[in-house]
Amino acid sequence: MWFVRFLTSSIGKKLVMASSGLLLFLFLCTHAAGNATIFMSSKVFQSYADELHSHPLIVLVFSLSLLAIFLVHIGVGLYLFNENRAVSTSRYAVSTRVVKNSLASQTMPYTGLFILLFLVVHIFGFTFSPKTVPISVTVKELLGNFFYALFYILAFAALFLHLSHGFWSMLQTFGVNHPRYNEFIARLTLVFPLFFFAIFAGIAFYFMTGLGANY
Amino acid sequence: MDMSSINLTLKIWRQANSDALGGLETYNLDGIHTDMSFLEMLDVLNEKLTKEGKDPVAFDHDCREGICGMCGAVVNGVAHGPEKETTLCQLHMRHFKSGDTLVIEPFRSRAFPVRKDLLVDRSALDRIIQAGGYVSVNTGGAPDANGLPIASQQAELAMDAAACIGCGACVASCPNGAAMLFTSAKISQLALLPQGQVERKQRALAMVAQMDVEGFGNCTNARECEAVCPKGISIRNIARLNREYLKAVLSEG
Ligand code: HEM
Ligand code: SF4
Ligand code: FES
Repeated sequence: MWFVRFLTSSIGKKLVMASSGLLLFLFLCTHAAGNATIFMSSKVFQSYADELHSHPLIVLVFSLSLLAIFLVHIGVGLYLFNENRAVSTSRYAVSTRVVKNSLASQTMPYTGLFILLFLVVHIFGFTFSPKTVPISVTVKELLGNFFYALFYILAFAALFLHLSHGFWSMLQTFGVNHPRYNEFIARLTLVFPLFFFAIFAGIAFYFMTGLGANY
Repeated sequence: MDMSSINLTLKIWRQANSDALGGLETYNLDGIHTDMSFLEMLDVLNEKLTKEGKDPVAFDHDCREGICGMCGAVVNGVAHGPEKETTLCQLHMRHFKSGDTLVIEPFRSRAFPVRKDLLVDRSALDRIIQAGGYVSVNTGGAPDANGLPIASQQAELAMDAAACIGCGACVASCPNGAAMLFTSAKISQLALLPQGQVERKQRALAMVAQMDVEGFGNCTNARECEAVCPKGISIRNIARLNREYLKAVLSEG
């Protein structure tokens, strides 16, 4: 069957990575936009959260879809990592990377796993937080802890690194590569990860330093 | 010491046959003329070894002018050595300094078994071509050259892809041992031309399937392939291959 052939082929698996990566990227855009309201005030953020959770069905459908996308991305990512490791362990006595700035591409599985660790902590901290406490208070409490916030900032640094290869890589896998646009794509591959880092790490920094404590 | 002659320490992978356990052996080679090519330097070493009654180093080569794709080894971790867009046979010793140590290893991949020393079996690449890297012309005489107009842009891109000499350096340098650059060049050169249209989808499916069967790794867009390719094949071809494969898998068979 064509679908099985597609999913078991090397390029098919790569396209699954790119498609799930694109969906995760789109999720990050909405999540960043929603969370950024906390810079206006905790009240605005709380009303955003209340509005969102006043539609439990939508939240449920979106959460489950997001979970599925994550499982696909992580599952196929680790499967590919494992397959490739079988090929690449200690091939040469001397191995030299010719490509400069290849840190991000070399560390994709590791930055990915660190993000996964973050996700577990994040979901237990916020999604499953006691429903009696307003979420804006939980945010202040948890991120007011220096080490908790530091862990968040490190995770967003890992996300930055992951996307600084992932965004370009996704487009290349979809077949988007043209000399006229490559310069522009290279710039976006820096701007988008930086944008996410600024918003997400910015929130952690805001509460870690106590700047956001009274707003 | 004469300016145009250098002394080298070579560490070369020696392996008696596919089943034998190989290892690096060290050789000192003095008085190498800097106008020599890398392969000529190996010739000098082999002459010396032969005179000493030792087994010369086996390596592949044919044209020695950078067009056949037979030569190749990994020099200090870089396929075809340190010069950009240069095959091993066209690499000259003037790019090295006296006293340098050169570690010379065969092109490695799960799909490239070592036959002897630096000589590897790259027939997996041939089998990818056999799976569909051709056009079938079953009837008629040779058509008139001007009978089939091709836009110059299109012809140029096809020619760029057709520059691939099938050396396998892309596979050897890929951290995953993937053959995507090679396969993408062979698919592009036909997908870009009118002659390649009839079998276009079948070709993409068959060549990718063969590539996977041969045990090459999965691409992670690390771009090492295009950095070492002696013919400057761009990963733009890999993007094209991804498109070709997606179109074919969604609409064919
Ligand atoms: C917010 C979370 C994440 C986002 C937005 C994201 C995004 C992306 C994108 C866009 C790609 C490129 C796809 C391609 O080139 O085909 C990618 C690749 C990858 N991701 Fe993620 N990812 C996330 C989380 C994770 C996690 C948790 C893991 C855990 C293992 C992971 C592991 C990988 C791996 C191994 C690759 C493949 C690298 C390659 O083949 O070039 N990612 N990711
Ligand atoms: S794409 Fe370049 S490196 Fe790969 S086989 Fe062709 S010429 Fe050699
Ligand atoms: S011997 Fe022909 S390309 Fe080097």
